Parts: sequence; structure tokens; C-alpha cells
Amino acid sequence: MEIRPWLTAPLISGAGSLWEEATRPPFLDALATSALPAAAFQRWLSQDYLFAQGLTAFQGIAVAKVPRDCHHALIAGLAALDKEMDWFETQARRLELDLTVGPHPVCRRYIDFLLRCAYTEPYPVLLAVLFGVESSYLAAWSAIPPAGPYAEFIERWSNPAFADYVSALGGLAERHPHPSAQPGFNQVLEHERDFWRMAWEG
Amino acid sequence: MLHQRLWESNLDLARACLAHRFVRALGDGSLDPDLFRGYIAQDALFLRAFAKAYALALARSEDLETLTAFHGLIGGALEELKLHGSYAAEPGIELARVVPNAACRAYTDFLLRTAWHGPLPEIVAATTPCMRLYAWVGAELAGHCDDAHPYGRWIRTYGSAEFERLAGRMEALLDRVAADTREVRESYGYALRCELDFFDAAMEDAA
Repeated sequence: MEIRPWLTAPLISGAGSLWEEATRPPFLDALATSALPAAAFQRWLSQDYLFAQGLTAFQGIAVAKVPRDCHHALIAGLAALDKEMDWFETQARRLELDLTVGPHPVCRRYIDFLLRCAYTEPYPVLLAVLFGVESSYLAAWSAIPPAGPYAEFIERWSNPAFADYVSALGGLAERHPHPSAQPGFNQVLEHERDFWRMAWEG
Repeated sequence: MLHQRLWESNLDLARACLAHRFVRALGDGSLDPDLFRGYIAQDALFLRAFAKAYALALARSEDLETLTAFHGLIGGALEELKLHGSYAAEPGIELARVVPNAACRAYTDFLLRTAWHGPLPEIVAATTPCMRLYAWVGAELAGHCDDAHPYGRWIRTYGSAEFERLAGRMEALLDRVAADTREVRESYGYALRCELDFFDAAMEDAA
């Protein structure tokens, strides 16, 4: 049995049923069984690309606020986000998908939330929020086997290096607790749930 | 004028707000008082974010005229909050304990994200629709409002010449600082969309 230390994070157990809602989307079940409509995949890819840009802005501001012991993980994560956007652009060219669409209201709400937090919340809450974003993504993609036409996508967000990053973020969130950390984490999960639903239903 | 073009290109959303069953019930006085109290409580949370957005815009102002305009607008928002505070003195509302609903969170996240992160023209484009919409709705409802109307005070506030002046000042500011860009259009249109969602949510939660 694979050990997933990040899954034992108190923030995850504290989120109750929201965790399941955010990490078991029908979108990914359909993707795993090759039953995903092309329009849904295109919607997800273009909106997730916009989201990655918003997350980059969030993380840049977070880097400016966190103490020294958080720098390594957050700055390495920022560099990975830069590579991820390159990768999105390559995938979009390969699949001839349009990345210049505007944000869907659900995607906009998520980015608005992240950036509002970045400026107005104390750094421990930003750590909890970032851990929420990345841990829920890891959990969602890890629940399906890395095979089929979307294997490269599944692999990208379920590989051991990504799990190590998520573990590091979980450790930092635990080391820097805050009374508003759980509410912030829970709000991320609500946005994740809504984002998957938007990608699936339009 | 930019403010007119933006208003007219979003008139469908403004009309949907005026025709919304919450607004219609408020206008004819048949609105459930619990729904009104719930709405006022959410609106008070919204207005705090609104006043902060003005303050952040003030801090970005380069010239004295713009700075002075935002100073006046902050005063207007605080006056509105006082009105909400006086509603809160009535039974059934505890403003300090109100939790924002999803529509209120989305709207305030949008306003504060724009105010902290965006340039001045987008902040003005994000805050103008609320002012214009409420002045317009207030004026429309005021025609059917007598002294005995249960929500007369609310209607007379937003339907007043004073509130119309405030909305006009906001629009003049928009014309002066903003250009007709995609970002400005998106900010304006999205703010009106948030207004409509706010009324939807108001039908769902009572105080």
C-alpha cells in the first residue's frame, strides 16, 4: 500500500465531506474511461490554463509574505507553475485548442477568491489555501489510473514529485497554524468542486 | 460617453434586476420581512467591501480631483452603512454575526481583488454599476411608493436626487479615468451579473 502522508493532514480531515466532493469529480471518471466529450476537455484545458495564471499571481504575492522556511517550497512551486503554463500552451497547440477564451464565471470566482486572499489574509491562511489547491488536485488525479489517451495529463498531477511538493506544503501549513486556515481551506474545496462541475457541465 | 455605452450594452442585466421577484416584491411592499432583513445583512457586508474598494482607489489616485471624488464616495458608502445599521437596530438582524452567502462572497472577492490587484479604471468600472443600478431601480420604484409603504425608506433613499447625483459623479469619474477596453467592459458587465446573483441569493436566505 502506497503511503500518502499528505492525506493525513488535519486540514483534510477537518474539511469533512467537502474533501470527497472536491476530489471525486465525474469529469475525471469520464476522462479515465475515455467517455469525456471533446467540448468538456477543451473547456477544462482553457479554464485551467487561466486558473494557472491566477494561481501564479497568488503564489507570487504569497512568496512575498511568508517567512524564510516557506521559501524553498513556494518558490520551487512558482517555477513549476511557469513550466506548467508552457506545457499547457504546447498541449493546446498539439490539440489545436483555443487558449484565448475569457474566464468562465466559475473560474473567475476562484481566481478572485485567491487574489483577494493573497492581499487580505495573513500568510498562514495563504499556506492553507495553497495546500488546498494542490492537495485536492493531487487527490483527484491520483484516483484514476495513468493510462489511456489522457495518460500524460493524469501522470502530471499524480507523480511522486508532485506528491512530495504537496507533502511539503502540508507540513508548512501544519507548522504555521491559524484560526482562519480551515475556513480558507474549505473555501478552496468549494471552488474546486464548482470548477470540476463547470468543466463537466459547462 | 463611455458610461452610457456600458450601461446600454448591459441593459438586459439591469432590466433582469428590476424585473427580479425580490425587487418586484420590495417595490409593491409584499416582500417577506425576513427576506428583507437577510438581504440588508448581506448588503451591509457588501458595503464594507465597497468602501474599502473606494479607499484603495483613492490611494491610487494621481490627481486631487480624483482623490477628492473618492473621498466623497467613501462618505456616501458610509452613509448607506448607517442606514443599514438603523435597520439592524430592528429585531431580527445581528449584523456582527452575519456570514456572507456565496453570491456576496463572489461579489466582494471580485471587488477586493480588482481594488487590490487591478488598475484604477477597472476599479471604477467595477464599482459604477452598483451605483447606477440602485439609482435606476430606486427611481423606478419611487413612483409607486407612498408614506405607508413598508420599505419606503429604502426606496426613497435610492430613488432620491442625492443618490442620483452620487451615481452621476461615479459615472463622470468613469468617463474621465477609463477607456473603452475589454477589461473595463468585463469589469462593468461582471459587476452587474453579481448584482443579479445577489438578488437571487436574497430570495433564498432569510436572516
